[in-house]
Amino acid sequence: MSSQQPVTLTTHTAYPLPTQKYLIPTSWKRYHLSQLVNKALSLSQPIPFDFIIRDQILKTSLGEWCSENNVGEEETIEIEYVESVLPPQKMSDFPHDDWVSSIICDIQGCLITAAYDGHIRAFDYSKNMLASAPVHSAPITSCTIVPSTTTGDTLTIASTSHDLTASLSHFKISPSSTPSSNTPGTILATLHLHTSPLSSISSNTSGTHLLTSSWDGLIGLWDTTIPIIDEVPNINDDDGHEKKKKKRKTENEIKPRRKAPINVLKSHSGRVSKVVFGETINSDIAYSCGFDSTIRIWDIQNGVSTHTITAAEKPFLDLAISPDGRHALSTSTDRTLTLYDLHSKSTPQSTSFLHPSTPSCLSLSTNANQVVTGAYDGIARIWDLRSTKDAMTSFKIGGSDEGGGVMKKILDVDWKRGVVGVAGEGGVEVWRVGEEARK
Amino acid sequence: MPPDGLKNSRKRKQVDEDTYTPQNTVQLEMLTDEEDTGPVSSDDDETEEFPEIDSGSDSESDQEGIEDDDEQQSDDDSDELDSDASLRIFPKAKTEISDITGKPKRVYPEIEADYDSDSSTEDAPNRVGNIPMHWYDDLPHIGYDINGKKVLRPARGDELDKFLATVDDPDAWMSAFDKNLQLDKPLTNEELDLIRRLYKGENPDIGYDPYEPMVEWFTGKGKEEIMPLSAAPEPKRRWIPSKWEKQKVMKIVRAIRQGRIVPNKPKSTNKMEFFSIWSDQPSALQQPPAPAPKVRLPTNSESYNPPEEYLPTTEEQEEWKQKDREDRERDYLPQKYPSLRLVPAYDRFIQERFHRQLDLYLAPRVQRVKLNMDPKSLIPKLPSPSTLRPFPNYKSLSFAHTKGRARCLSVSPDGAWVASGDEGGVVSLWEVNVGRETKRWQFKNKVSSIEWCPRMDVSYLMIGVEEELHFLIPPNLPDDIYSRTKSLLSPSTLPAQPSPSPLTWESISLDGQSIDKPILSIRLPSSSGTPTHIAWHRRGDYVATVSTGGPQNNVWIHQMSRRHSQAPFKKVKGSVQVVLFHPTKPHFFVATQQYIRIYNLSEQQLLKTLNPGMKWISSMDIHPSGDHLIVGGYDRKLCWFDLELSDKPYKSLRYHTRAIRSVCYHPTYPLFASSSDDGSIQVFHARVYNDLLTDALIVPLKILRGHQVQEGLGVLQIKWCTRQPWLLSSGADGQVALWCS
Repeated sequence: MSSQQPVTLTTHTAYPLPTQKYLIPTSWKRYHLSQLVNKALSLSQPIPFDFIIRDQILKTSLGEWCSENNVGEEETIEIEYVESVLPPQKMSDFPHDDWVSSIICDIQGCLITAAYDGHIRAFDYSKNMLASAPVHSAPITSCTIVPSTTTGDTLTIASTSHDLTASLSHFKISPSSTPSSNTPGTILATLHLHTSPLSSISSNTSGTHLLTSSWDGLIGLWDTTIPIIDEVPNINDDDGHEKKKKKRKTENEIKPRRKAPINVLKSHSGRVSKVVFGETINSDIAYSCGFDSTIRIWDIQNGVSTHTITAAEKPFLDLAISPDGRHALSTSTDRTLTLYDLHSKSTPQSTSFLHPSTPSCLSLSTNANQVVTGAYDGIARIWDLRSTKDAMTSFKIGGSDEGGGVMKKILDVDWKRGVVGVAGEGGVEVWRVGEEARK
Repeated sequence: MPPDGLKNSRKRKQVDEDTYTPQNTVQLEMLTDEEDTGPVSSDDDETEEFPEIDSGSDSESDQEGIEDDDEQQSDDDSDELDSDASLRIFPKAKTEISDITGKPKRVYPEIEADYDSDSSTEDAPNRVGNIPMHWYDDLPHIGYDINGKKVLRPARGDELDKFLATVDDPDAWMSAFDKNLQLDKPLTNEELDLIRRLYKGENPDIGYDPYEPMVEWFTGKGKEEIMPLSAAPEPKRRWIPSKWEKQKVMKIVRAIRQGRIVPNKPKSTNKMEFFSIWSDQPSALQQPPAPAPKVRLPTNSESYNPPEEYLPTTEEQEEWKQKDREDRERDYLPQKYPSLRLVPAYDRFIQERFHRQLDLYLAPRVQRVKLNMDPKSLIPKLPSPSTLRPFPNYKSLSFAHTKGRARCLSVSPDGAWVASGDEGGVVSLWEVNVGRETKRWQFKNKVSSIEWCPRMDVSYLMIGVEEELHFLIPPNLPDDIYSRTKSLLSPSTLPAQPSPSPLTWESISLDGQSIDKPILSIRLPSSSGTPTHIAWHRRGDYVATVSTGGPQNNVWIHQMSRRHSQAPFKKVKGSVQVVLFHPTKPHFFVATQQYIRIYNLSEQQLLKTLNPGMKWISSMDIHPSGDHLIVGGYDRKLCWFDLELSDKPYKSLRYHTRAIRSVCYHPTYPLFASSSDDGSIQVFHARVYNDLLTDALIVPLKILRGHQVQEGLGVLQIKWCTRQPWLLSSGADGQVALWCS
């Protein structure tokens, strides 16, 4: 028998073991350890576990790990075990003509995409397009579902675009058998504040308020009620006969109302790349990140910035807040995903996850311990927040895994209910990831 | 002669006697001494000791008897001496009957102690001689007299007696202890005089006269020697001219007549002069001669049979063989032969002779200079690149032009958009950060230059296509900016043309979706070439364009507000490559192929000419502070000019392997970059200090590779993103890449 290593096994999952020292043969790998835990717990259905030693996922045998990290046989290693992420499985892909900038997987059995051609589309998982509507004349940069009391197939979707406006629209998802070619979408209102293209939009959980961020450094706060009259006068109506044509055209339809913001949050000195509401219901807290290397926490009611985390030369691209509001995760152009502790006020403690390419987007899993990032090299990576060295798993978008094709940039990811929707240059792909996928 | 000398000596003696009359007094004193000696012998001390020593009484009486005899003899002698002192050398002996033996004995008279006598102290009673007197310390006597009788020890008083004696006798200081007689003896006047003379440093001899008159023996009056040396008659040669001289002179005269000797011949200057470099006398023209190299003397180890300790071990031999000839400590290996017969011929003889000849000839030979220095110490200390972050270090995304080389690109003033043009006539407008093309314009000819207007209140970009300049408005502008741009480029009322111009400005009034077409076009004169370079003034009202490739160079300055173009130069020497506006001053930089000229536009005059020392300038850029200029050339060189310092480059860098295509300063970060045909971009940290004393700090940071070299062309243009330390580059492979920090 080969040499043995004393270990202790700890966990944060729902499957704790009594604190005890085990002597493990150094030739054991993840599979053996997982079997050991399963036997010790005497689980009815076997659950695969992954093992994290000192921020590293155990991928080799225990002995090889020890020799790599110069750990002697006498030392006791503390091993944390987590439920393992199964290798992601590709469910389906949805080719698009143009780049897809945003994807939403919130709704069961349906996904909504916003593309650079100004269309918002809805698909079911069997590759059928449920609806498609031109909302903007310019590329859409992001979209979100505004939770509302409206029932049935109609959804309220807010979207932002390069045409300096955001819009609220009703979107009717009809069954796949009868594709509704006639006006599936109705633009209710256009939001006028920004003087530069908009970058993101976010809705609070109750669906009463919206936040938009723009390249001009402003964050707009809006309510979701549709005004009866235009709150912002249309300048273009007066001059230029080409606008008259447009006006004439739109006279037939229900003309979208022009909305003005409730409040404007000004503090960022550069482009604001992402703004999100706090996760709790009726939260008054918003978080934003920007190219000026800051993450700001806002008090929406008063419209002031309560806290600022300043990083050194990290133009942030995307931001996610953990459900308990303790941590902020942000990707930046220096190829890192960074975890910030928001509660430590003095010096923000941060943990960095290095990428080989620019990570443009991220999405937290429902259990908030895992995060998926999409990068410009076309690879989506799933990270465990306790293991900083390596990604737990990764998968390549766009064609075969051999990497023969060109890199297709990933622009948005969304991880909901065991499904990761990946949108990017090559269209949309849906992958089955996570513990829910097993059920 | 000798009789004369004798006479003289005698004369001198007589003179001496005459002159030294005062010496008679000394003799008189000596007499008194003799008188003194008398009472010494019959001293009180002796008389006191006599009764104690019985045995000595006989000898004492004997002594007295002898003394009596002596006195008698002396009397006799003196009589005899008076009579025949000059006749007889030795005194006449008398025959007496000895008292002791009763037999007759010959008694010679006492020898007068004269100057010539052996000893003046013969009369001393103790005759033991010069022996250590302590031998007699334990004995009652101190020696023996001439007759073999004991000389008894004289009585000596104690210290008190001595003291009393000194008190009583005023002359006690004049006595000295006589070892021989073991008693204090008063010094004679002669001895005192001797002591005085020695004390005064004079000659101790009384009779010596240091100022004796000179006796002239051979010189002086009447003593001249008259003696002829030779009586031979004078020889003939004294008055007859020399026959041999005549022959010699005649020979020269004949030679002169025959022309063999040319008198007063001018010295030929073109003849080579040779110097004996080893000669002892240094010639005036030459340096003092170098000492001739000498062959080193052989040492023990060069012997055919050296001692064992000189023989190298096998390891040393191996080491010696491994080394280069120049590195060897000595150029031979010591070898041992049992006898001289077995020594082979010296194998390096000819070689060594040859080198010796070369040494003497002062032949220069290759000398390897060893440099034992750490090569790392030669590298200047530069700060680590990691401390100079941020700078671009990886390719974030790339945008592909499919129709041809991406010649040019430009970044919008807010740093959010990029416009890039290719040789297929396509101008693409795309986001910096996502890389998605949002607008595309198509032109007939290849796009050679793009530059965004630096004004923030209007937004348009200017492109140069074959002999034309076009102005484009990007989409999705805010309404106020759009209307301002439109009214600037296509005003409803055209300003009056000040003078006829070969250029035509053509505006298109916008109708419909006409942002697909240029809103304004400027047509350059025909056959003026492609506008390859556009330079905006900082305020965005003036723009300068350079056209190359045509028959003549064309530099035009266009004023946007007045819709007017003018050519600032009537004639330019050389072909203009690049022009630039100074960021703060009204200065205008014009780079021809080899020189950069700086003009003051307000005063209309040439300020300065910079000479970067390169053959063909390809690009240049000015630092945002306006004090520094970088110039890139097709001959791979990059020059940094400090404009306040010199006309010559402050630094000349040559690190690209191919021609430099583009150089660019970052507007806010201390960075600059250069791109080259070798497909690489090099990023530098360039910190400029405000004080004039500190030189600019240039640190190479990163070489960015990723562009493919196609048909010998690499990265054609680079531009910095305005607000971020990001770099954009367009390459001959049609790719436009964004390099992020």
